[in-house]
Amino acid sequence: MWRVRPAKLDDLQQILDLTSAQSGRLSSTLPNTQSALTKKLQQSQASFANKTDTSTPRRLLFVLEDTDTGQLAGTAGIDTRAGNGQPFYNYRRDYLIHASHELNVSRRVEVLYPSHALTDLTLLCAFTLKPDLRNTPAFELLSRARMMFIASHREWFTNRTVVEIQGIQHESGEVPFWDSLGRHFFNMDFETADQHSGQLSKTFIAELMPPNPIYVTLLSEAAQEALGEPHPLTRPNYDLLQREGFLPGCYVDIFDGGPVLEARTDTLKTVVTSQPKTLHGSEGLDGETCLISAGEAQDFRCLLTSVSETLADDVKVPVSTWRALDRSAGDRVRISPL
Amino acid sequence: MLLIRPLQENDLDDLYGMAQNAGKGLTTLPADRELLQRKIERTRESFNQRCAPEAGLYLFALEETQSGKTVGISGIEARVGLEEVFYNYRLSVTVNASRELGVHVRTPTLHLSNDMTDTTEICSLLLAGGYQGGGNGLLLSRCRFMFLDDFRKHFSEKVFAEMRGVSDKDGRSPLWDALGSKFFDMEFSQADMLSGLGNKSFIAELMPKYPIYLPMLPEEARAVIGMVHDNTRPALKMLQAEGFNFNGMVDIFDGGPAVEAFVNNIRTVRESINRHAMVVNKPMNLDVPPEQRVMISNRSFRDFRVTTLPMECIGPDTVSIPREVADALLIESGDPVRLAPLKESALSPIHILKGQESEDEKILDRVRHYRNRHGQD
Repeated sequence: MWRVRPAKLDDLQQILDLTSAQSGRLSSTLPNTQSALTKKLQQSQASFANKTDTSTPRRLLFVLEDTDTGQLAGTAGIDTRAGNGQPFYNYRRDYLIHASHELNVSRRVEVLYPSHALTDLTLLCAFTLKPDLRNTPAFELLSRARMMFIASHREWFTNRTVVEIQGIQHESGEVPFWDSLGRHFFNMDFETADQHSGQLSKTFIAELMPPNPIYVTLLSEAAQEALGEPHPLTRPNYDLLQREGFLPGCYVDIFDGGPVLEARTDTLKTVVTSQPKTLHGSEGLDGETCLISAGEAQDFRCLLTSVSETLADDVKVPVSTWRALDRSAGDRVRISPL
Repeated sequence: MLLIRPLQENDLDDLYGMAQNAGKGLTTLPADRELLQRKIERTRESFNQRCAPEAGLYLFALEETQSGKTVGISGIEARVGLEEVFYNYRLSVTVNASRELGVHVRTPTLHLSNDMTDTTEICSLLLAGGYQGGGNGLLLSRCRFMFLDDFRKHFSEKVFAEMRGVSDKDGRSPLWDALGSKFFDMEFSQADMLSGLGNKSFIAELMPKYPIYLPMLPEEARAVIGMVHDNTRPALKMLQAEGFNFNGMVDIFDGGPAVEAFVNNIRTVRESINRHAMVVNKPMNLDVPPEQRVMISNRSFRDFRVTTLPMECIGPDTVSIPREVADALLIESGDPVRLAPLKESALSPIHILKGQESEDEKILDRVRHYRNRHGQD
């Protein structure tokens, strides 16, 4: 049975195996070195353990685990404050009208403005999943488990939630947006910059990024085409998040031009449709498959289960689900339809 | 004889003919009768001091005195950017560095600028075909410095010239194609023509206001920034010899450089000397090579005249001037004139004479001093 739970320090080796097995770069915020990942796991554990102070930035990391084998198959994260106390960089796509009354000309000019506007918003990040699970319910479980967590820990999160989606990268590794813009200023290839961005402080971005707005029309054609486009491999995630209520706005990634999805936290589908229930037993496994979560902070668990009957405040689920949730009859849980 | 004088009403036909033959690229003098007529009127107002000094446009005609035909034109715009907005790109450097990563990147950047506003511009130089060479271009260009020198209060301390940038024989400018055209959907030649008709600031209003990072432009466009058109190379060389230097400003359309100099540093100004005219009636061979000639101006604002004379006419206090030249210059014996070398050469006699002049001045001073002390006059 697939289960999402907070990551532990013991998960280190398995997560490293996961990230190194990834084809191409699919999550920029998950470090791939032992020391950096150890730090990240420690940070996550401390973030889950901190139950009182809601204002400090937390960096939460969840794992997808096979409860039968203990094998991990994916990770997903939430930063409660994008930037984690540092500036969070994006480009804002905006338009200027260059007009001349005398010449009877009016022209829309697209401009990218460096922006920190998304700093301190809740950010979904660090999504990694074994490729063979991409088209299974486990994929939805892993991604939406975070929304279940948000629903039951609402006060930890801000009113708006954002997700950065990876932008266009060719098979050969070229990132057209980077090659047309960032490369000139950072004087390094995309991989290096991306690694620095995941691991170093963001000071280097402030130091190296051009301080002035960029005219889109001066970018290469390939870069203009890539602007705001998700990487084809992220398409399932991109679509899932849109079903969840996220929408592409005017922000794009400064490195690869990938889109940033935005949503009001309180209108996220999972947050709206999930309901607290009281747990009861059931015999069979037939019934509607739902997301079910329980537990606070580091005890949080989320899995898929069949719900045979829901009456008022009660929900009946198989006993195996109880065990995976570490709950028993009469405990409070949260369910949401798939 | 070739004579410099203020542009007049009856120059319109010759001017129009010249402008037509000049073809594209001379934006300050388009072949448009109405516009040329307005320029002549402005010039008349300026020389007659019927307009504010800063609004002045001083256009000089090079007249072939035998035929009365105008064969060249050059000008001074007293102040740019007063009515319309005057735009340039300033070519500067943005440095982005990270000590942590050991990265230090210099990015050449174009900043839109109005820094030349309120500065005097020398402009509109054009010489009719068949009159090139023989120092005519030098006379046409350098006579302006004699005018600037004598009437400095009408002009800024610094003067500049915009040099034509690179475009190919079809009139395509690599910078315009890579930059301007992205914001203003028009061929360079058309934009160039519009700017000559006085629409440049309108077009500039459509151009990007934020800095342009040059690495984002294609190689061909970057290569022409600050470069002059092949046809403009001689004019640039001439101005450089006068002490003009690239001031970091380039044209927003074609990337051609602006060059500037302080009036008191301009070579023609530094090497000018004053003399009194002495009209002589004996015939004189005026046809000597350019390097042996000097420019002579009558120092009149309203009826400014300049022509050239052989250097050997210069004496310690006076300059011998044949009758017909004196008539052309509207001077009589005893009138003050100003002289400057026409062509730069390593050691021209005018230098030596200038040294003598200062010695002479010292002697004269001593004489005056002596007389004053002795109550004589």
